[in-house]
Amino acid sequence: MVDRRLTWVAGLVFVWGAAIFYNLIKLQIVHHQDYVQKARDRQEHVIQIPAARGPILDRAGRPLALSLSTQSVDVDPRKLPDLKLNASLLAGQLHMDEAELYGRIKAACDSHRGFLWVKRDITPQEVQNLRGLNLDWIHIEPESHRHYPKGTLAAHVLGGVDFEESGNAGIEKTLDAELRGEAAQARRLTDARHRGIDQQLSNEGRAGATITLTIDERLQFVAEREIAAAVEAHGAVSGSVVVMNPYDGQVLALASYPTYDPNEPPASVLDPGRANHATGVSFEPGSVFKVITLSAALETTSLGPESMINCHGGVLTLFTRTIHDSHGGMGIVPMRDVLAHSSNIGAIEIGLQVGREKMYDYVRRFGFGQKTGIPLPGEDRGRLRRLPLWGATSLASISMGQEISVTTVQLAQAASVVANGGLLVRPRLVLKNSGQTTSFAPPVRVLQPETAIKMRQMMEGVVLVGTGKGARLEGYTAGGKTGSAQIYDYAAHHYTHTYNGTFMGFAPLTNPAVVVVVTLNGTHGQAGFGGAAAAPVFRAVATEALRILDVPKDLPDVQRATPTLIAKNQAIDDLAIADLGSKQPNILEDPADDDAAAAASPAQAAAAPAPSQSAIPNFRGMSLRAVLAEAAARGLTVQPDGSGIARVQDPPAGAVLHAGERIRVQFAR
Amino acid sequence: MVRHLSARDIDWTLLVIALLICAVGVLQIYSVTRGSDSHSAWWKQILYVLGGLVLMWLVLPSDYHAMLHHVPLMYMVSVGALLGTYLVGEAAFGSTRWIPLGFGLHLQVSEFVKLVIILMVARYLTDLRTDELEFREMLKLAGLVLIPAALVLKQPDIGTALTYFGILTVGVFLAGLHWKFVLVIVAGAALMVPIGLHFLKDYQKARLESFLDPELDPQGAGYQVIQSQTAIGSGGMFGKGVTKGTQAQLHFLPVPSKDFIFAAFAEEHGFVGVVLMLALYFVMIMRIVQNAQTAPERAGMYICMGVAALLLSHILINVGVVAGLMPVTGIPLPFMSAGGSSIWTSFLALGLVNNVRLRRFVN
Repeated sequence: MVDRRLTWVAGLVFVWGAAIFYNLIKLQIVHHQDYVQKARDRQEHVIQIPAARGPILDRAGRPLALSLSTQSVDVDPRKLPDLKLNASLLAGQLHMDEAELYGRIKAACDSHRGFLWVKRDITPQEVQNLRGLNLDWIHIEPESHRHYPKGTLAAHVLGGVDFEESGNAGIEKTLDAELRGEAAQARRLTDARHRGIDQQLSNEGRAGATITLTIDERLQFVAEREIAAAVEAHGAVSGSVVVMNPYDGQVLALASYPTYDPNEPPASVLDPGRANHATGVSFEPGSVFKVITLSAALETTSLGPESMINCHGGVLTLFTRTIHDSHGGMGIVPMRDVLAHSSNIGAIEIGLQVGREKMYDYVRRFGFGQKTGIPLPGEDRGRLRRLPLWGATSLASISMGQEISVTTVQLAQAASVVANGGLLVRPRLVLKNSGQTTSFAPPVRVLQPETAIKMRQMMEGVVLVGTGKGARLEGYTAGGKTGSAQIYDYAAHHYTHTYNGTFMGFAPLTNPAVVVVVTLNGTHGQAGFGGAAAAPVFRAVATEALRILDVPKDLPDVQRATPTLIAKNQAIDDLAIADLGSKQPNILEDPADDDAAAAASPAQAAAAPAPSQSAIPNFRGMSLRAVLAEAAARGLTVQPDGSGIARVQDPPAGAVLHAGERIRVQFAR
Repeated sequence: MVRHLSARDIDWTLLVIALLICAVGVLQIYSVTRGSDSHSAWWKQILYVLGGLVLMWLVLPSDYHAMLHHVPLMYMVSVGALLGTYLVGEAAFGSTRWIPLGFGLHLQVSEFVKLVIILMVARYLTDLRTDELEFREMLKLAGLVLIPAALVLKQPDIGTALTYFGILTVGVFLAGLHWKFVLVIVAGAALMVPIGLHFLKDYQKARLESFLDPELDPQGAGYQVIQSQTAIGSGGMFGKGVTKGTQAQLHFLPVPSKDFIFAAFAEEHGFVGVVLMLALYFVMIMRIVQNAQTAPERAGMYICMGVAALLLSHILINVGVVAGLMPVTGIPLPFMSAGGSSIWTSFLALGLVNNVRLRRFVN
């Protein structure tokens, strides 16, 4: 009896034992690999070790942007033992507002968030204090922080980064992937309490690339200083300068004003300082564009520098448009004088001889209406209407720089064509990427070398006898072209009395080392014309560039006479006067607005402003800011020197200043 | 009577197997507590085993008939001690099972009560002198077991209470309870399950649910099951090696030196180690059953079979839990899990078996 019962017990035990074995075989043999994987998933965590973001250097290796390692504090709000108490402790240690911190932690806790930054970028002292507390709910994470040691210098080239250190503007954005590098990956063995036990690199990663720019820090500084002073002095809205080597396209300086400090987070998306006026904002170029018109004429027509052009005494009626030269007007003059004195009528006459197709072709060949490919985000390609959309007077308008919009860097690219003997060279900003010299697109021939030489000679005339006298350099020959375009008011559909003053030029003449293009947007009065406002900036920047590049002087060193009064009849204004009576809509205007444009009042007064002959005020004893403000209010140009309080001025107070002349003011403490 | 006793008559095979299992247990405890706060657990375990041997030795001289004679007293002391645990016991891991003895020692009364249950069942069934246990008698015996079992359930400790009923079940089954009553009991137990569910505590319900689907709450109730199965499964055929069991070493496996020591062992020694280990346990149980068969009379047989039932229920429940066949109930693996009470109870149980064996020759 008992034995039979024992057999039964043994049978039941056997069944249960078999079930256990079945499970063990299933676990340990059949699904072994699954459980190995499961264990690994739990025990090993792949952690990312971000690579240090690469530095950005200027062409000589001087740092413009660096990444510094910092520490930040975070907590898991769900795991805090006592919200109120912990918030008060953290606030005390980190010098924060207790109520505000408590509110943030509470909100994060209520929404079941497992992560909250308490404070980022804390001081070493705070790190030490927190570590001293030895509390496991306080996490201190190493972070990297982008630092721009030169502040606002080259801000628009560098751009900036967001809080996650990814580029959001400038080179930082364009080359974000290279600068960021590749995060190293490590497999970390962790225990059940997420404590790391062992760590093994599984992917070495790649350090962020070192980017060497073509920018020269010193020249960049000069360019920014000069454009800032000019914008302030002329009451302009913005300004930009591009300095470029015409042979290899290296951009030595690219300045835009107003500027910003990339160390600071952007105040708002609409921060005007963030716009890059050198590459991202196009404008109607005005007379500087006559360089393209004349280049096309030299190549496609029988015209030469000495060919006589009829300027019709300054007034030309074309179809329904009447076009004026802004100054007294010329009769029949050689082509070189058309450029030197910037005759609109002459440029139109020349343009008409070139013809629509060839004109369009040359504008395209000079790189207008296309991006230059400069590695900065948000480049504006400008507006160039396709040939079939050209109106009856488009050829005339484009010949003198209207109905087209360009950027400063496009002008620099175009000026380089003339400067380097006829090759289109794309502007470059990156000299070396991780020590490797970057490749660049081969130059494309645009002009015959003879054409380029002829153009250079004519452009020297602009500086020597024409509208660009303010651009004359000491010790160097130079060529250039001024431009002043009325700014078109999109709301009212007419040209306003504010101007874009431009100067594009190069030096020395025979073998140009640099191309410098200066643009001032929104200047007032004749003092804001290209010759008056932009040419002196060209002079200052080009002089510095030639000095830095150690270019031998090609003119004897002579002391220039003190500013000679310019004869009144030698008008320097080169305004490309819009035909204000025209019903022709502006190219920059939305075509949908055409009806509105036609409805706009045709009776707009001619825009020639009264010659600015004003008495010079007494600046002595004023601060630099006050002097600039006063001068801007009176439409005067001041050349400040030194810092502190105005001590000496030339010409003295009360003297009469003629158009284009500057007042030198010496400041001292 | 003492003069009849000889050390040669002790079941040395049984003792050697028990000590082998203890040795493996010590090694495993050393491996999983290495570098943790309880890194001294392994030599404490050695002390417990030595103490267990002494206790076993102490049990040998007094005739088991004398013990059976004192069962009513032992029973009352047991119930009193369990009540005492209920009143002054120390809580740990959410359950009140231990009476503090000072010197950092804690006595788990419910462990020793198992032995009293064995003796009580043996005496009760012997006294009946029947080959066909009547249902009424069985209910009376069940009532006697139910009182301490209820106190243990109250602690709460379902696993230990289950072993009490394991002893009872094997006892009444061997005593010849009629098959129809066996079926009635099985049916009744099946009916009790849904009713019993209402009395379960939340954590017990959660364990039951997570047994059915561990992934339901992988960080909570299902955690132990998942971690235990992961440990066993990742051990594979030959295991990861001593001190290389990452699941246990990195603290993913819960209580790897006690209730889940078998999972830790399976992780480090693999399927081969597990088979060898279960074979040792199998031989051990078979030796005890053999002793039951050679026992001089019913009482000795019931005691040996009670011990076999006790150890068997421990092994089957523990391994069943660890392998994911049963919901989690905290129950130690005899001779292996760290802990004095469990080791001493196991050795005392071996003492009972040897006590019977020493007196197998009736003269």
